[in-house]
Amino acid sequence: MLKENLQKFFKIDRRWIFLLLAAMLFIPIMKPLGLPNKTISRDVQHSFDFMDKLPAGSFVLFSLDYDPSTRPELHPQAIAMIRHAFKKNLRVGVVTFIAGSTGLISEIFESVPKDYKKVNGTDYVVFPYMANPTAVMTQMASDIYGIYDKDEAGADSRTLPVMQGIKSYKDMSLVVEITGTAMLDYWVAYVGDKYHIPVIGGVTGISQPGYGPYLQKGQLRGLLGGMKGAAEYESLVKVPGKGTSGIDSLNLGHLLVLILISISNIILLIIKWL
Amino acid sequence: MDLLAHFWTLFCGLFVITDAWITAGAWLAAGLTIFLFSFLYKDNPFFKTAEHLYLGAGMGWLLQVSFYSVLVPKVWEPLMRHQDWHDWLVLVPSLLGLSLLTQFVPKISWISRYGFTFLMGYGAGLAIPVGLSTDFISQISGTVQPLSMMASMTPLMIFNAFLVAFGVICVLFYFFFSVEHKGHMQKVSNTGIYFLMIYFGAAFGNTVMARFSLLYGRFDALYTFSSARYLYATQYILIGMVVYFAIHGFLTRDKKEPEAAQ
Repeated sequence: MLKENLQKFFKIDRRWIFLLLAAMLFIPIMKPLGLPNKTISRDVQHSFDFMDKLPAGSFVLFSLDYDPSTRPELHPQAIAMIRHAFKKNLRVGVVTFIAGSTGLISEIFESVPKDYKKVNGTDYVVFPYMANPTAVMTQMASDIYGIYDKDEAGADSRTLPVMQGIKSYKDMSLVVEITGTAMLDYWVAYVGDKYHIPVIGGVTGISQPGYGPYLQKGQLRGLLGGMKGAAEYESLVKVPGKGTSGIDSLNLGHLLVLILISISNIILLIIKWL
Repeated sequence: MDLLAHFWTLFCGLFVITDAWITAGAWLAAGLTIFLFSFLYKDNPFFKTAEHLYLGAGMGWLLQVSFYSVLVPKVWEPLMRHQDWHDWLVLVPSLLGLSLLTQFVPKISWISRYGFTFLMGYGAGLAIPVGLSTDFISQISGTVQPLSMMASMTPLMIFNAFLVAFGVICVLFYFFFSVEHKGHMQKVSNTGIYFLMIYFGAAFGNTVMARFSLLYGRFDALYTFSSARYLYATQYILIGMVVYFAIHGFLTRDKKEPEAAQ
């Protein structure tokens, strides 16, 4: 009898679990619990330290290659890293190889630069979307203006104050790639390894474990993984954003998964024992 | 002509971003999100509509961005400018690119081979050397190199270096099929499976986190759209969906009963 009752647990309509999960993720949005994010992973700390040590005026190239489908994980990462760059008075250049990124990039640069009194063309430049990433990456090694002769607004890139002294990768201090695609692999292979320019990545949680070998070998200087990576970087920059506010929901969601897995295994053991 | 210009100005005026447009955008975003999530309950026409819209809107966006960011500045403008002979060079890649489109006409589809040949040659020439260097040679050196620097390493780092090298050998052995996996060979191969399982476990954990993050992102947006500023878009659409499912369930009740009886 008990065995049959316990077996009913495995026949629960999965839509009840969806509902429970939805409630667990939604409640902290309506009423934040303020659970702390106390761990800073080694790779996020390395990313922060590397950018933090760059002298003011250094040129950092951001390649923001994500679309709305990965926005919750990657957008907070991009905002946190751009905030850090502005805070350190670094020059920022932005490129993208994903058409869907253009709107998200505009969203960032409509608000973030104002907080640091940064001016388009003087402190940062946003280049237009370009197809064929490997061709663009290769071309930028010899002459960036061969591809990006104009910025997104149509201004001549060569005359922009932010681009003074920048002709190719050797004039840049760092490449930051934030992506939900395999574009980080391209930056490491076609640019980082080949032209010896440091590369830092920001990727989705799913892709994160796959970059272990690049980190171990030093081909990547640091890595931000998913919303957790964004929350950690926000903690380091001391500007809480969407990454930090998502930690409550993630904690509760993970707790639910742990509880469900534990209960299922305990019930299976009891059924086996009966 | 003036009338045409007048109508054009009026038409463009429709797309000036106003509060009304932002609210309409919020309703659209909240609606599409709820329509797509409604599939978790059961398949329905709202889900199908949202699914097709997503595909269509994505392709439309890609087309316009590619047109205005690549085709116009990189092909059209140089050809129209034709200040020197360099400007005409864009015709070569453009023709190669256009040749790919001949695939759609069977009689002349052979022309597309020129474009594909260029793509394959260029792609392979670019990818193979860097792939070998970054993903193969560098990774081998990354596995072996720490073992040659033990004098400057802490005991934990030495253990880590050995563990990585041991794991790589075991996993590689698992995928080596020319020797029968028996006896000691089987033990090495089985150890490789454990290393793989640890990786899969880490990947699964990260996948769960990633999916929850995406869900959180949409919920966060839905919560934003539920405010008075957006005229309670989330609540109204949610209620609408519940009403739809209730009515649909009521109307199809008679059809379900004979099916269940059969």
